[in-house]
Amino acid sequence: MGRARAASCSSSSTESSTQIRRNLSTDLRLGLSISASQQDDPFSLPSVGDDDQASDWPPTKPLIMRRALEEEENEGSSATFFVKVYMEGIPIGRKLDLLAHDGYHDLIRTLDYMFSTNIIWSEMDGSVSAYSETCHVLTYEDKEGDWMMVGDVPWEMFLSTVRRLKITRAM
Amino acid sequence: MSYSSLPEDVLEHVFSFVQSDKDRNVISLVCKSWYEIERWCRRRIFVGNCYAVSPRMAIRRFPEVRSVELKGKPHFADFNLVPEGWGGYVYPWIRAMAGGYPWLEELKLKRMVVTDESLELIAKSLKNFKVLVLSSCEGFSTHGLAAIAADCKNLKELDLWESDVEDPSGNWLSKFPDTCTSLVSLNIACLGSEVSFSALERLVVRCPNLRTLRLNRAVPLEKLAHLLRQAPQLVELGTGTYSADLRPDIFSNLAGAFSGCKELKSLSGFWDVVPAYLPAVYSVCSGLTTLNLSYATIQSPDLIKLVSQCPKLQCLWVLDYIEDSGLEALAATCKDLRELRVFPSEPFGDEPNVSLTEQGLVLVSEGCPKLESVLYFCRRMSNDALVTIAKNRPSMIRFRLCIIDPQTPDYLTLEPLDVGFGAIVQHCKDLRRLSLSGLLTDRVFEYIGTYAKKLEMLSVAFAGESDLGLHHVLSGCDSLRKLEIMDCPFGDKALLANAAKLETMRSLWMSSCSVSFEACKLLGQKMPRLNVEVIDESGPPDSRPELPVKKLYIYRTVTGRRIDMPGFVWNVGEDSALRLS
Repeated sequence: MGRARAASCSSSSTESSTQIRRNLSTDLRLGLSISASQQDDPFSLPSVGDDDQASDWPPTKPLIMRRALEEEENEGSSATFFVKVYMEGIPIGRKLDLLAHDGYHDLIRTLDYMFSTNIIWSEMDGSVSAYSETCHVLTYEDKEGDWMMVGDVPWEMFLSTVRRLKITRAM
Repeated sequence: MSYSSLPEDVLEHVFSFVQSDKDRNVISLVCKSWYEIERWCRRRIFVGNCYAVSPRMAIRRFPEVRSVELKGKPHFADFNLVPEGWGGYVYPWIRAMAGGYPWLEELKLKRMVVTDESLELIAKSLKNFKVLVLSSCEGFSTHGLAAIAADCKNLKELDLWESDVEDPSGNWLSKFPDTCTSLVSLNIACLGSEVSFSALERLVVRCPNLRTLRLNRAVPLEKLAHLLRQAPQLVELGTGTYSADLRPDIFSNLAGAFSGCKELKSLSGFWDVVPAYLPAVYSVCSGLTTLNLSYATIQSPDLIKLVSQCPKLQCLWVLDYIEDSGLEALAATCKDLRELRVFPSEPFGDEPNVSLTEQGLVLVSEGCPKLESVLYFCRRMSNDALVTIAKNRPSMIRFRLCIIDPQTPDYLTLEPLDVGFGAIVQHCKDLRRLSLSGLLTDRVFEYIGTYAKKLEMLSVAFAGESDLGLHHVLSGCDSLRKLEIMDCPFGDKALLANAAKLETMRSLWMSSCSVSFEACKLLGQKMPRLNVEVIDESGPPDSRPELPVKKLYIYRTVTGRRIDMPGFVWNVGEDSALRLS
């Protein structure tokens, strides 16, 4: 979970317990969960747990979350951002949480694993061997409905404009 | 003449008046002959967990069923807690029913993975198929829907409630043949892309019995009036996008069309609402019983104007933009209100963005004597408010409270909310469903175990202090069927001590708790009629036995371990050696 969050400063309350609550919820939204060792002191801050679990609190359904994401002026107030990833030839897309990745390299690594392939994108390093049968090109559909090559714009900008991803065979 | 000497067909006729599953089950236990008669005349079955029984077994016992309802994934799948590929595939059921129930009329699925292949098989094999409800389902596309449209000659209902549908082509609606005039209900609200409006219109025109029409966002507001004039008999309407350029001719056209719909009782949709167009629905407000404004991003004043005209309202779903002031108006106007759901407009914000507090809910509990079902997202709560609500509405049946920041205490006293929720279970003796939130110790579970005797479903997160909490619930809640827990310090002791209880329940979900893999194994070995499934996407759970299991799903079943588990789900049953993947 790489999105840095500005610490929330509440001027309305100086209660330390309230501050703990807020920090707790911030951490939780970053996907960290309370570890088992909290049994003795359930009110303490959570330790860094596994980060493979997307934030699942509060329990609102994805449709409502998606609408909430559209309403908010993006910018880090949400904790998950699922987009569909379509592999050429497969009609059903897989869902992927972009916010669970801290950049393009991370995203490509996940996609390589998810689809058992090697993804070609804008900034790939030369270490990927280009066997044409196992290489695929990654593109994304932006807000305007245009398909662009992934990696051309800074990661944050990409997040604010991407609608879905597509993996197609390299020519 | 004793009951046992009544002829079979008389008994069968008597049984046909008994619709409830529970009563039917009781009838079947009276004696062998009643069991036999009953099973041959049962027409509808409900399987709350598709893995609890095999399709073959169900069909063998009840050979003349016409309506099947199945549920797949656990409830927490709605919040992305269940990884993709977990299961809940309907295809094996459809394949079995294609042969075993050729006259099946209704299929209702919830949280299941439905493929185009499944839909095509339905269309091909079930000649009398009438009703398809796919609620929170996924895995299919409009290709599958096209098959249903084209081949189900007697289709009455197609309802895609909140399903995730792939939309490769928009034209499936035109696959309904011109001879199809039987539609009563069509809900396509969840479809992302455009449908052919002309095909939709032709369909609406030729189906005179159409009562329910829920459009998707892609249907523009300018075209809604036209549709309404073709279907003034509609009882339930979901609009498409509710925004258009502000033009008086569009407005008057829309208002006129609505005023022609004298039967309208339910409204939903309202995506992208432009407040200036809201008055177009005012003419139908006096008859409205259901209003779903979950997508309507309008502010409190407009919501108040709308709600104040709906004295017959029984069910309101709305965003927290309604605020306490709006709920006050609701309490004053809608004396028939049974169900209220208030959703968060900014669930991930740090600060409240609206003035919605516990006061709103208290006011509604005071003003609405029939209130029985509540789902409420808010940012603060007090024990006093909960006690007041409990005393106001002892007839409450469903109470789901979500205080957005986990472990938030009573904002007045900074104490846990144990006493407040305790009052809820103590006063509301018929409570069937409860969701907890806020700062809670083991005490709240003691209250629940002591008083919540009719409770069937309990949802818990970030609560409790020790195993005692879980033990109170498992040992005290006599009617418990579903228990779902996340991020609570509950471990092995309570689970193992109450192993037998788990067989009386449909399912138990525990994630991010303190249950050890050893305990799961023990449970699996001790209880052969439970499937104890550990979900772990990072590798075999016995490779790190010192860590608690991440996700645990336990459910009773008569068919043993399922054969469709993905690589990240382990059934820790009698064989201690784990499957090789």
